Amino acid sequence: MKSFKRWGLAAAGTLAATLALTACGGSSGAPAASTPAPAASSSEAAKPAELTFWGWAPGYADSVKAFNASQSDVVVKYEEIQPGSRGGYEKMLNAVQAGNAACLGQVGYETLTSFAAQGALEDVTQYATANQGEYVEFAWNSVTVGGKVFGAPVDTGPMAMYYNKALFEKHKIAVPTTWDEYKVAAEKLKAADPKVKISSPYANYDYAGMSWQAGAPWFGIEGDSWKVSIDSAENNKVAEYWQSLVDAGTIAKAPMYDPAWFKGLGDGSIATLVGAVWQAGVIKGDAADGAGKWAVAPMPQWDAASPKVGNVGGSATAVLKGCETPEAAWKFANFLSTDADSYGNLIEKAALYPAVKALLDLPQLTKADEYFAGQKIFDVFKEEALKVNTDWTWGPNMPLTTTKLDDGLNKAWAGNGKLAEALVEANTATVENMKSQGINVAD
Amino acid sequence: MSVASTARPRKPGAKTNGRQGRTAALLLAPFVVIFAAMYLAPLGFAVYRSLFVLKRDGLGLTAPTLAFDPMANYLKAFADPVFIESLGRVLLFGVVQVPVMLGLSTGLALLIDSRSARAKGFFRLTSFLPYAVPGVIAALMWSFLYSGTSSPINALLEPLGIEIPFLGEDMVLWSVANIVTWGWTGYNMIIIYAALQSIPGEILEAAKIDGASAWRIAWNIKIPMVRPAIILTAVFSIIGTAQLYNEPKVLQSVSGGSIDSAFTPIMAAQVATAAQNYPYAAAMSVILAVLVGILSITFFKLTNRGSDA
Repeated sequence: MKSFKRWGLAAAGTLAATLALTACGGSSGAPAASTPAPAASSSEAAKPAELTFWGWAPGYADSVKAFNASQSDVVVKYEEIQPGSRGGYEKMLNAVQAGNAACLGQVGYETLTSFAAQGALEDVTQYATANQGEYVEFAWNSVTVGGKVFGAPVDTGPMAMYYNKALFEKHKIAVPTTWDEYKVAAEKLKAADPKVKISSPYANYDYAGMSWQAGAPWFGIEGDSWKVSIDSAENNKVAEYWQSLVDAGTIAKAPMYDPAWFKGLGDGSIATLVGAVWQAGVIKGDAADGAGKWAVAPMPQWDAASPKVGNVGGSATAVLKGCETPEAAWKFANFLSTDADSYGNLIEKAALYPAVKALLDLPQLTKADEYFAGQKIFDVFKEEALKVNTDWTWGPNMPLTTTKLDDGLNKAWAGNGKLAEALVEANTATVENMKSQGINVAD
Repeated sequence: MSVASTARPRKPGAKTNGRQGRTAALLLAPFVVIFAAMYLAPLGFAVYRSLFVLKRDGLGLTAPTLAFDPMANYLKAFADPVFIESLGRVLLFGVVQVPVMLGLSTGLALLIDSRSARAKGFFRLTSFLPYAVPGVIAALMWSFLYSGTSSPINALLEPLGIEIPFLGEDMVLWSVANIVTWGWTGYNMIIIYAALQSIPGEILEAAKIDGASAWRIAWNIKIPMVRPAIILTAVFSIIGTAQLYNEPKVLQSVSGGSIDSAFTPIMAAQVATAAQNYPYAAAMSVILAVLVGILSITFFKLTNRGSDA
């Protein structure tokens, strides 16, 4: 009996350990479905190069069809995958490690540097340089890491201020053009109706857009070292500005993209949203109650004399490591970003905003928008896109940086801490992580 | 683990022993293969990966390499205040939540089992029902009940001037505990109830004839007899506590920072995974698994000591 008991004990322990461990392992994801990288047979010049493209933006499938119909040198096969943050990036990185990744993948600018730092991207500088001039400068910078080009920019996310025009008119408050005026408007709104808040909390990349506008970089490269400056004096200025709004009680509590946030945007208890061009689609889709009330104005400025604009989001068609036909890959990536017919379709289906200068006049971008009371909202973004600050570099491990930043920001927006502290903590954690892996960090 | 050959003494005169052994091996083979491929291999791989550290150089813009350094990730994990704090938090959670939940489960099971209980089927089903709601859905539902902007509980209490900060820093752990208790009490109750059903009627009859009250029968006969079932549910609950993830993860976005990215050990490991530091995530998982193993064995030993006599 004794031995049975011991066996049972050991079994129970093993069972417990097994359950706990397999549960942890589950999230790392199954290896990607294998798509053997098509080999380009150089001996037969007539045979088209075949390559696969992984993406998720609505409309990409049609663009691929259009590309395949337009020429006979390259055949692209489109495979729709989960959006990046919901598993797509993991699939790409795992597939690169396993050696069976697609040639091309849709990768957000903010993640592209982290991808490069994983060695997951293929250098296509030699094919790409000829097209550089066609692209908006900061978008081109976003696909360039350490002097190497890793893909073609597809869209950008220039920022502006969405505001509830009906609300501002009702309370006879002027639309703010500077951050000082924005603060005054916040007080006036609160005085007119204590339930109305000027804004809601901004986290990770939405918050980064504010730093971007203020010329307060988070990362930079000096020689062969990284400079991390998330808690720099410039960043502190931005943090303290928003902190003063939190302290004054003029920021809503509803987290962005939460049902309570959409409700606030719809019923007029959140008066503005300072955000990227693609937020137009988000507001229209999920705050339908606000139809006809909202409008778009330029982003409030720190210095009205020299207006600057931030950017949130935007993605590239990146060439993944192991691609055997990088030249063909670049040809398609460039087509996806520059072909007018294909891009018009992307604007309608995915609300993408072109990263190519020549496409900023597309007819799809000059339509009046009923949700915004007939305003031609892209006219505003066209102006603003030209003012986007061009030197902004993303760090080599953005998932870690933004996770730590959000931990602190969420507390601060809820009144349980300070925004400035969140910056310090994110900076410390990021530097510690980089140093522990042997990356050079300048002090 | 050739159970067939070691557990049973060789029967004299049995000629087919060899063939029996082969048949047993053949029948066991599919299980062993699947067990090895689906359980042992990932476990072994996790342990193996945890022995390496990520190494980069310069700007870190080239593919990282893995360097063999068996202790590095473990030392890092034990020196990581965020991870240690998450372990402590989950331990505190388990020490409070598991006994409360099992007390409730046992009480409910005894009530439904009692002779005078009415509509047993209805109560059995309704208390089990929360278990049928997937954990994530339950957490979403509770997030509405807790959230500062939508809580109907606080809306009802508002006229009285009371506001319960369900997601406040001091309270959020217990708000999570409430969701877990709500979801699992019925499940554990069913296990204990099933054990109660198997108590022979004669024993209860005899106790009744001896003049034992219902309380006394419950305390002195029923509970001791369902002890193994209670211990089983306790071990499952300990394991479940270590895996705490769904509820805090869902509440995180509305918690106003009270739940951070490393609220529980699994969430902490997930942060490392997202940051592509798989070896570190593996080390954290191994530590958690070993701790749960030790806890479960200790619990078994402690609870079995009394019954040895």
